[in-house]
Amino acid sequence: MIKTVYQATLASAICLAAMLGHSAIASAANLQVQLADKTGAPLADAVVYAVPIGAKVPAKAPGTAIIDQIHRQFVPKVTILQTGTSVSFPNKDNIEHDVYSFSPAKTFELKLYSGIPAHPVVFDKPGLVVLGCNIHDQMIAYVMVVDTPFFAKAGANGVAAIEGLPAGDYEIKAWDYRLPDGAAQPTQRVTVTTDQKLKFALDVSAN
Amino acid sequence: MRIRIHHLHTRIALVFVALLLVIQVAGFSVISTAIYANARHTVNDQLSVSEKVFRQLLSSDDEKLRQAATVTAADFGFRAAVATRDQATVESALKNQGDRIHANLVMLVGPDNRLLADTLAPNEAGRDFSFPDLIATARRSGSASKVGLVNGRLYQLVAVPVLAPLPIAWVVMGFAVDNALAVRLGDITSLGVSFLTKTADGKWSLLATALPEDKGQELAQALDQVGASSGSLEIDRSYARFGMTRYGARIISLDQNGQRVVAVLQRSLDEAMASFRRLQSTLLIISVVGFVVSLVGSVLTARSITRPLAALTRFARSLGRGDFEVPIEAAGDDEIGELTQAFNTMRGNLVERERRILDLAYYDPLTRLPNRVMFTDQLTRMIEQASRADTTFSLMMMDLDRFKLVNDTLGHHMGDLLLCEVGQRLSRTLSHESEMVARLGGDEFALLLPDTDLDAAKRFARRIGTVLDEPLSIDGHTIDVHGSIGIVSFPLHGREFHTLMRRADVAMYAAKRVNAGSAVYSAADDVHSPERLTLMTELRRAVESDQLSLYYQPKVDLSSYQVKYVEALVRWIHPERGFIAPDQFIPFAEQTGYIKVLTRWVIDRAMRQLAQWHADGIDLSVSVNVSARDLLHAGLPEYFEGALRRYGVSPQWIWIEITESAVMDDAAAALQTLDQLHQMGLRLSIDDFGTGYSSLAYLKRLPVDEIKIDKSFVMGMMTDNDDEVIVRSTIDLGHNMGLKVVAEGVESEAVMLLLGTLNCDLVQGYHVSRPLPEDKFREWLRQWHASVPANVQADTLDGGRHIA
Repeated sequence: MIKTVYQATLASAICLAAMLGHSAIASAANLQVQLADKTGAPLADAVVYAVPIGAKVPAKAPGTAIIDQIHRQFVPKVTILQTGTSVSFPNKDNIEHDVYSFSPAKTFELKLYSGIPAHPVVFDKPGLVVLGCNIHDQMIAYVMVVDTPFFAKAGANGVAAIEGLPAGDYEIKAWDYRLPDGAAQPTQRVTVTTDQKLKFALDVSAN
Repeated sequence: MRIRIHHLHTRIALVFVALLLVIQVAGFSVISTAIYANARHTVNDQLSVSEKVFRQLLSSDDEKLRQAATVTAADFGFRAAVATRDQATVESALKNQGDRIHANLVMLVGPDNRLLADTLAPNEAGRDFSFPDLIATARRSGSASKVGLVNGRLYQLVAVPVLAPLPIAWVVMGFAVDNALAVRLGDITSLGVSFLTKTADGKWSLLATALPEDKGQELAQALDQVGASSGSLEIDRSYARFGMTRYGARIISLDQNGQRVVAVLQRSLDEAMASFRRLQSTLLIISVVGFVVSLVGSVLTARSITRPLAALTRFARSLGRGDFEVPIEAAGDDEIGELTQAFNTMRGNLVERERRILDLAYYDPLTRLPNRVMFTDQLTRMIEQASRADTTFSLMMMDLDRFKLVNDTLGHHMGDLLLCEVGQRLSRTLSHESEMVARLGGDEFALLLPDTDLDAAKRFARRIGTVLDEPLSIDGHTIDVHGSIGIVSFPLHGREFHTLMRRADVAMYAAKRVNAGSAVYSAADDVHSPERLTLMTELRRAVESDQLSLYYQPKVDLSSYQVKYVEALVRWIHPERGFIAPDQFIPFAEQTGYIKVLTRWVIDRAMRQLAQWHADGIDLSVSVNVSARDLLHAGLPEYFEGALRRYGVSPQWIWIEITESAVMDDAAAALQTLDQLHQMGLRLSIDDFGTGYSSLAYLKRLPVDEIKIDKSFVMGMMTDNDDEVIVRSTIDLGHNMGLKVVAEGVESEAVMLLLGTLNCDLVQGYHVSRPLPEDKFREWLRQWHASVPANVQADTLDGGRHIA
């Protein structure tokens, strides 16, 4: 069921992108990014996002996301979303959770609750938000809030695909929760004209 | 001897005591060493256990503190405060949380190791935290702890992360390591617990201790010394002497990143060994008491051995002195007792043996009378007594007449019985206990009569004669017993033992000579009297200086009046005394044994003379007188043989004249000698025939060629018819036995004629010639031959042949 929701969300996003790019179909391209560590092992759950250079970021479309709590784990562990996205935190466990964040990008606390909280949390500032549960220290989730609609998360094979990129220059940024604190964010510049592939080798060994 | 015994006793005691001492000392030292080792071992064990306990306590404290800090750091409000970086709030929250768990200090350290807050120094935020390793460990392990010095005080520090939910900072909480903690740890581990650090100047400084303050300072000083000597402080598991007290100690390094901090666990060895010391004292007392008891015991044991030994020694010594009277008391039935018993048995045996020895030594086994030894003792004692008391006593010496005859004819057994009987009879004559009869040997007896003068002794001798005269019958043989007794008196006949004995002997022989039964000593009889001694000396000189000479008395053949035989007779012409008669020195020579020399002198001269005569054409045979003692002397035949050879004389020219008694005394020996001489070709002649007791049986056994009728019969034949009968019978007897008969003592023509009618072969006497010196004899012989017609001579030769 979780998968369905996620796929639904993903499907709607793609659909949205397709609609947005309708006016410039001829110049839209896909960017396939391979994320791996220094040894070449694929980094699942790593994220990438593309920031246009010189071009105006396309207008935001209000979006929603869901981060479940299942078996005392946040699912998914890593989420990337566009600024302004409302995130719902359904508690699928039969115990209460107290989801909080002290991250500057979004500080909040959902006091002990069961089921679905009444109000979703809107992530209105870009940045990394680390989520925890006040009563289950092992529960950690990462939410990367970005100011661009062009982003993707790597699957188990470490491949993240950003689709429907209009032709132009981009800064492609990668992030992985395994990167050490304060590490410089790996960034690559690309000029998108047609479909292309990109590789990131992230230094996650320091952690 | 006493000292030696003492030594034995001391030696036994010493050996025991030395052994005991060695054992006690060895035992004591071994046990003491064991006790000490055990104590050390115990302390060591205690320290090992306590060290583990101590470490366990520290780590358990640690864990508790860590958990407390973790809980504190997990407080949401606290985390919120830290996350929001509100300095004032953070500091107050830190203090609050610290107070909750009684932490003495609380610090907040950022990921960059910078102090975000410090309750001890609120205004010094931003400094580097002093223990980055603590944070590093906590980052790795979720939490960390260590002991560390902060501002000169020792703290147990724990670090836990502040999770938001990732670690955003570390809370460090410190708990003071103070005396209270040391005491608590000390109470649990039963050890002295101290914490020390090495200051910048290299000295050890006391941080906290469960000990009294002064002891703690002593410990610090001691560590300084140990550190100085070893050059290193990694000296845990060592023992040390801290101050005056010995300790077993463990120095546990709590050292981390440069700061030298140690915990010292110590246990007083003396305290630990107190119970062992008490045991040791008890052991010492037991050892000493045991030693003393053993000492006394060994001395007593040694005494108990040596005391009976000393008694035995005294006993043996008294045995040695000949004191056999008192037996020694048996001292129990141990080995000493057995030895004592053996000594007693020995004493009994000695008594018995001495009795037997005394018996053998002092008594004659045959007659059971005292023997010569005892008699000698008794006489010696009596001489002493009589000398002191100036009294008199008498001594008698007796031997039996013709005892030899009894022995020879009836056998030794009979002789022994006779001696026993005589002994009993003599014993019966004694009337007083102090009187004594002893058998001196052979048939010789002696009597000792105290307080008896010479007259009484003579009466006593007569009584003995009477007693012996009683008929005596042994094994059916009636034996006539006569004794000859010599009597001497003390001090009349001498004061000396030997004098008395010898003179009694002399008197006895005198009595025997005259057949008187008994005789009192007289100097005249005494060979050893001064006069006789002189004679002896002179006789010897006479032989040596040729004062002696041989005279020759012819024997005339009655049938032919030829002189073919002469008797050689020794004569002594003394330079001062003149002519000394043979009967004055011949018996004397016989008594002294000098006769042997004399006889040999005579033989030698006679042979020489004989050789001379034959060389001069004078055909003579010579008779030589040989005494009884000569016959008994060995070597007489050999001497004759030598002389014959020396002078080239034919043996048949030699006649040997012996008296009957010479043969009788020791017939067997005499007979042997005579047989030997006869075999050599010498002829034998019985002198003084008829005066002795000789039987015809003897005559028959002797290798005799001639008998010489004693002159007493010849001289009396003219007046006494009996004598004439005897002479006639003797001549007939001799002829019938094939012997030549010579008549001695012919002093008249009538006697010579009568003898001629009786067919006597030869005559000798003054009527024919006295004994003459050689030169005169030659003259006489020449004249005699001149006066005798030759035809008579021829007849005589025929007659002589007929007789032979």
